[in-house]
Amino acid sequence: MVRAGSSPGVQRPASARIWLLPPAVMAVFTAFAVPVVSAGARAPVAWCGAVAVALLAAVSAEAVRRGRTNAALRHRCAAQEAEFRRLLANQAAETARLAEVVLPDAVARLQRGEHPEQVLRASCSELEVDSQFQAAHQRVVRTFVDAVVAEEELRDSAQRAFVNIARRVQAIVHQQAQDLREMQHRHGNDAAVFGDLLHVDHGNSLIGRLADSIAVLGGARPGRQWLKNVTLFSVLRGAMSRILDYRRVDLHSVANVAVLGPTVEPLIHALAELLDNATRYSPPHTRVHLTATEVQSGIAVEIEDAGVGLTEEALNRAERVLAQASIGLDLTDLGEAPRLGLAVVGRLVRSNRFQVSLRPSAYGGVRAVLVVPRDVITTAPMPDTYPGAGLVSMPVPASVTVANQEEDEPVIAGRTANGLPQRRRRRNAAPLPRPARAGSAPAPTAVPVTAPETPAPADPPVQPGIWLAAFHSGVSGEAPTDGPVRRNGDGPLDESE
Amino acid sequence: MSGPEDKSEGEQPERLYIITGGRSDASEQAPLDLVSLIVSRSAPQPDMLPEHSAIVRMCQYPLSLAEISAYLALPVSVVKVLLADLLGDGRVEARAPVTPASLPDVELLEAVMHGLQKL
Repeated sequence: MVRAGSSPGVQRPASARIWLLPPAVMAVFTAFAVPVVSAGARAPVAWCGAVAVALLAAVSAEAVRRGRTNAALRHRCAAQEAEFRRLLANQAAETARLAEVVLPDAVARLQRGEHPEQVLRASCSELEVDSQFQAAHQRVVRTFVDAVVAEEELRDSAQRAFVNIARRVQAIVHQQAQDLREMQHRHGNDAAVFGDLLHVDHGNSLIGRLADSIAVLGGARPGRQWLKNVTLFSVLRGAMSRILDYRRVDLHSVANVAVLGPTVEPLIHALAELLDNATRYSPPHTRVHLTATEVQSGIAVEIEDAGVGLTEEALNRAERVLAQASIGLDLTDLGEAPRLGLAVVGRLVRSNRFQVSLRPSAYGGVRAVLVVPRDVITTAPMPDTYPGAGLVSMPVPASVTVANQEEDEPVIAGRTANGLPQRRRRRNAAPLPRPARAGSAPAPTAVPVTAPETPAPADPPVQPGIWLAAFHSGVSGEAPTDGPVRRNGDGPLDESE
Repeated sequence: MSGPEDKSEGEQPERLYIITGGRSDASEQAPLDLVSLIVSRSAPQPDMLPEHSAIVRMCQYPLSLAEISAYLALPVSVVKVLLADLLGDGRVEARAPVTPASLPDVELLEAVMHGLQKL
C-alpha cells in the first residue's frame, strides 16, 4: 500500500496500478484453472472466478481509497503538530523573556520614575503568541507593576517620614546646641557646671549626627547650611566634635585652606562617620591620626587607625557598601553601625564628588582617605584661622592705652595678618587713664621716651571704660559688645611697627 | 557679638569640648582667677593650636584672664584650660593680680558727671 509521508501526486499513478494487481492475478489463475478442470466443472469455475475477480477488484479499490484518506489525515496531523510546536516554543520564549527581560526592565523603569502605563506598554511582546496567553502575560505584568509601585510608594513615604523626623530632631538639636553655647558662656566661671555643660553638649552633638545620618539616608541634605567658608582646621575639629571618642583623635598638620560653605556640612558629616568607624573599631588605648594634605586633585584627608584592620573580603564589602549607597535607603542598613556609617559616607561622597578609599594601614588598622575636590577649596581667610578670630577685634582707636599699674604701658601698634592686636611694650609707666584729647594722633610709638617721669608727648586718647567693659563682659560670661570693638579691617591701622 | 546673625554666621563647627580636649577644670594645674594677668614668654609657634597662638600673640602685653576670655569670645573655663597648657609649656607666665587702681583722677570724674547731666 502507500507509504506514509510520500507525496500524493507521485503516488497516485502507482496506487492506481496497484489496486488492479490482485484482480489481475485472480483473473490469470481463473484463466489457467478453466482449461485444466474437467469440462463439467468448467462453467462453475469460470463463474466463480469471475465473481472472485469482481469482488477482489472492489475490495482492492476500497482499500486503496481508504489508504489515501489515511495518508491525507496523517499529513494534516503532522502539519498541526508542527504548528503547535512552534506556538509552544514562542510561548516558552515569551515566558523566559517575561522573567529575564520584561520584569527587571519594569522594575528599573519604575525606579526611574516612569509612569506604570508606559511600563506596561513597553512590555508588550513582538512574538506571535496566543491572544489568551498574551492577555495572561499582561495581567501578570500588571499585577507585578502594581505591586512594585505600591512598594516604591511605601518606601518613598517611609523615607519622607524618616527625613521629616530627622529634620525635627535636627532643629531641636541645633537649638539645643545654641542654648548650650549660651549657657557655657554664662557659667564659664563655674568649672563644675561648665564641665557638665560640655558633657551635655557632647551628647547633643552625637544625637545631631545620628539625625543627620538618617536625613542623608533618606535622600536629603545633612542638617544645617554654612553661609561662610570655614577653614579646614575648623572642619576637622567640627568632625571630631561629633564622635564619641574625640579624645583619641590626634589632629596633625592641616593644610591652611578653607572649604566653601555649601560643602562644609557634608564634609564634616562624612569625616565624622569615618572617624567614628576608626575610633569604634580600634582598641580604646590606640590613637587615631587625622591629617589633611594638599594633593593634585584637591585636599586629601587621611584617617588612620591602629585597630585590628579589615580582611580583604571585609574591605571589599565596605567598598561595595560605599558604592551601592546611592541606590536607596535599605532599612536593614539602619541596624548595623559600620554599614550605616559607610552608607552615609557613600551617599555624601556621591552627591559631593568626594573620593573615598579604604586601605590597610601601615599601623595595621585601616587608612581611610577622603579627597575633597579642588573646586570647593579656597584659600583660608587669614582672620579666621581660629574660632575666636572672627570675633576678636580691637578697641576702637588703633592705639589705646590700657592703663594699669605695671611699669609697662602697652601700645597697640597694629595688627598682625590674622587680625590680632599687636602690642608693644614701652618703658616707663603711663599715668592712669586721662581724658581723651581731641584730635590727638595715634601715638608715635617709635619715639623713645628718655625721661622716665614724663609720659610720651603724644599719648593716645583713652576710651574710658574699655578695660572695664572687657573685664565685665568676661566676668558675666558674655561676649564683648560691639561698642568698644570693631571688626577686622575697620578703622585705621597703625603701621608704625 | 551677640546679634542674631552671629549665631548663624559667626558660629564655628567645632564645639568647646574639642578646644579644651574635654577638660573643664584646670584649677589644679594652674590656679588662676579672672584678674590674673597673663603675659607671654615666647613667640607663637606654627604648630600651636590657633587659640594658643592667639593668646600668646595677644599677651605680649599683660592681659587679664577676663580680657582674654572676652577678646576670644570663649568662656572663662576654656581660657583657663588653654592657659594651663601654655603655663605648663612655659609659653606664658601668670602674674599676681595687681591691686585695684586708686580712684581715677578728678578730670575724668568730672567729664563723666557732665556727660551724665547732658543726657
